[in-house]
Amino acid sequence: MTTTLPPAPARENDDGTAAPPALALRGVTRVFGAHTALDTVDLEIAAGEVHCVLGENGAGKSTLCNIVFGSLPPTTGEVLLDGERFAPSSPADALARGVAMVHQHFSLVPTLTVQENLLLGRGVRRLRPDRAGLAARLAAIAETLGLQVELDARAGDLSVGARQRVEIVKALLDDPAILLLDEPTAVLGPDEVDSLLATVRRVAAAGTAVVLVTHKLGEVMRVGDRATVLRGGRVAGSGPLAREGGAGTPGAPALTAADLVGLMVGREASSLDPVLAASVGVVPTAGPSHDGGPEAPARSGTPVPAQGPAQVPAPATGDPVLTVRGLTVDDADGARRVDAVDLEIRPGQIVGIAGVEGNGQSELVAALSGALPASAGTVLLDGVDVTHAGPRRRTALGLGVVPEDRHHEAVVTGLSVTTNLLLGRLHRFRRLGLLDRRAMRAAAADLTDRFDVRTASLDAPMSSLSGGNQQKAVLARELSLDPLRCVVAAQPTRGLDLGAVDDVVAHLRTAAARGVGVLVVSSELSELLVLCDRVHVAYRGALRGPVPTDAPDARDRVAHLMTGAPA
Amino acid sequence: MTAPTSTTTAVVPTPGDDDGPAAPAPAAPAGPAWRDRLLDARPVLVPLAAVLGALAVSTGLAALAGATPAEAATALWEGMVGTPYAIGSSLNVAAVLLLVATGFLVAHRAGLVNVGGEGQIAVGAVAATAVGTSLPSTVAAAVALPLLLLAAAAGGAAWASIAAWLAVRRGVSEVITTLLLNFVGVAVLVLSIHEEALLRQPVTSSETLPQSSPLVDAAHLPLLGLPDSPATAAVVLALVGAVVGSVVLRRTATGVRLEAVGRSQPAARRLGVPVDRLRFSALTTAGATSGVAGGVLVASVPYVLDEGLASGYGFSGLVVGLLARGSFTAAVGIAAALGFLVSGGINLQLAAGVPASITQIAESLIILGVAGTAIWTVRRTTRTRRPWWRSRTTGRTAARPAPEVAP
Repeated sequence: MTTTLPPAPARENDDGTAAPPALALRGVTRVFGAHTALDTVDLEIAAGEVHCVLGENGAGKSTLCNIVFGSLPPTTGEVLLDGERFAPSSPADALARGVAMVHQHFSLVPTLTVQENLLLGRGVRRLRPDRAGLAARLAAIAETLGLQVELDARAGDLSVGARQRVEIVKALLDDPAILLLDEPTAVLGPDEVDSLLATVRRVAAAGTAVVLVTHKLGEVMRVGDRATVLRGGRVAGSGPLAREGGAGTPGAPALTAADLVGLMVGREASSLDPVLAASVGVVPTAGPSHDGGPEAPARSGTPVPAQGPAQVPAPATGDPVLTVRGLTVDDADGARRVDAVDLEIRPGQIVGIAGVEGNGQSELVAALSGALPASAGTVLLDGVDVTHAGPRRRTALGLGVVPEDRHHEAVVTGLSVTTNLLLGRLHRFRRLGLLDRRAMRAAAADLTDRFDVRTASLDAPMSSLSGGNQQKAVLARELSLDPLRCVVAAQPTRGLDLGAVDDVVAHLRTAAARGVGVLVVSSELSELLVLCDRVHVAYRGALRGPVPTDAPDARDRVAHLMTGAPA
Repeated sequence: MTAPTSTTTAVVPTPGDDDGPAAPAPAAPAGPAWRDRLLDARPVLVPLAAVLGALAVSTGLAALAGATPAEAATALWEGMVGTPYAIGSSLNVAAVLLLVATGFLVAHRAGLVNVGGEGQIAVGAVAATAVGTSLPSTVAAAVALPLLLLAAAAGGAAWASIAAWLAVRRGVSEVITTLLLNFVGVAVLVLSIHEEALLRQPVTSSETLPQSSPLVDAAHLPLLGLPDSPATAAVVLALVGAVVGSVVLRRTATGVRLEAVGRSQPAARRLGVPVDRLRFSALTTAGATSGVAGGVLVASVPYVLDEGLASGYGFSGLVVGLLARGSFTAAVGIAAALGFLVSGGINLQLAAGVPASITQIAESLIILGVAGTAIWTVRRTTRTRRPWWRSRTTGRTAARPAPEVAP
């Protein structure tokens, strides 16, 4: 199989032998209560290959990672490491056996330096941290993989990409046989994605088996050797990936991007909405890829917005529903997070804010929702000054907010679905001073019905819902405000499966068609380009642009602005 | 090239593809049903075990103090339920504990832990005494008692509001502030019964005790009127308080909002819930019920404010609240159990010569047992845990083919 691969010289060695795969899963099943997260999954990963595990959210990818990394035992089935039975009792155990994992959410201590972070948890049985050993190992990693880290920088001061590099170096310190990467590109900008993927290739070339868990096809097609697609906890299909200039392994058809999409969603790729296609990365999120680029079905030379079926020309008439003038937000340390932002959204418009994360988007949304105080500037909602108003008043004036961090701010995971849907309007369900539970349940049933929130029971805790259904519940709550003038949605499709992305996008479009102003903040540029009328770019707290999305070179212009280059 | 045989599996879906001999899983934790049931019953079994363990240790201590287990048990039992009088006084203690616990549960719903029952009782009692001793003796009980209880509630609430304000405005942990304010609160009580200008009874001789004058008759809590029983209206008051608390928390918008605040302040704030106001009022409510507990104590026999008034009730009430885990029904039961234990302990001292503090030891052991074993009551996935000293002994480097070795 190695012949089909792009440069991977170090991998010629494992052929000709019947060496056991570096990692093998045999009939692994994991049951949570009544829910089967993984159903007799078989998987084999050879040393030196990049094996992509694809699937929508809830397909069982994370469970699989957790089983391999020792956080969860399988209910039945077994995991083999180099042909030996492997039943890690804890992540520490898995690490000791040579399985390392880079988590989706970073696990560096922000107040410590990079060196201290790397030393954490190492040599716990020594009196002093092994700085010399670390330096030697880092030098080796830098030489073989070209991965450099700034040892003396504070982890919290690093950019997201640099932090992730530290995470990867940390995982590589023990020279693992298997490296698990869980959705590593979720928070990266286009350039950082490129460099990450290059790193992944080099790590694999050095003989490590890399498991890349993702739901973005573009990345898979760029770095993957083989792919396994999970759907509903089962292996929907697996095989080597098709590459330009190389046939698949003889006897096994190579998977194309279109095949993968079909396996992931269970329907033809060409039937996908452009936004959906963008969200799986069928349209590459970064410019032309270096290793030839995938043969993606929706790929075309220019961005795809014009063919979006729901692109109704926005009736951009009427007074703006949201006017932001010179909005500035300083954080507690006095650092400027949002810098003199001007923004105007008229009824029916969908305006996007793109940008690499950490450029003030979160703070801007927080300031618009009333969670952060503005240091300067004004925010007018439907002509009313709400600069200093709390969330309650903004909601009353018709501002719906879909917060970025669902678990932190959007829902109370421990409370029931009903309560979460109606928490902001409990006063409407009072009867004789008590809550009218029946009326609440009826209202919640109506909302879950209209927004297709799938839940076992309205009294089930919010945490029992899948991410997509939680997000739909949030949308149900925010879009059913009365009055509703403007919706601010931060990363509304993050972490959602395709069906849910479809629904979320449709609901936002419907709202806009009703004359609601919509502001979408997202790090998924492709999504913004197909969804929005115009896209601003957040860069170091300021907004740049806007770039109208129907301009032929919109993608390039936005990508250009994201790098900080002058417009 | 030669790919390992099974990696050439094609694109076909492979649902339930069981790979023959490798499949049977020896490590499957498919335990028998009784074991599952046992694990599910842990929230009940673990506290029960803690109680039994505490009783065993206490019996041992009683033996050290010179009482045979049989004597000690008899004395304890007599003091708990042996006579109507014993039952009545147990109920009175239980009522005080339940009042404190009710407030604790309300604050706890909003995510606040009120450790300040002791100080709030003290300040509530001081306020109640101030009212109860200054009313004219002609006043009707229907006026005097509500006034006294209101003053007690206001005193406790005011005391708790210091911690509440610090928690809401300055982000200071209420666990620390309420705990420390206990000492100050008790000091306020001690000061006020030592100063004639405050609440001390007129000093007529060197033997005048540092305590307040007795309350006017109208401010005495009425007895329930059970034969030979000292049980007072406090029992009814506490039960009503628990019912009201339960209804508010479970059936009203305020209760739902409090829970939302307790579980996620950012989400609650985002949804327009007045987070700060709710947290402030939840903690002051806890102070108010503790204050009422203080008022009840002063308005019961011997109707004076003295130094030992608050001793222990605040913390025992906290225990009731903690053990009840949010349930008012459980709080009523636990308050009753502890109430009986406390008055049983008094008889233990009188009848068997065993220091009454042994019941405090038992109580503390129960707390330690329950708190320390709380982790076991959370259902976790069972896994075989390797001892830490063996965690790095597996030789994976030996088993792994080094990539550098060229063919």
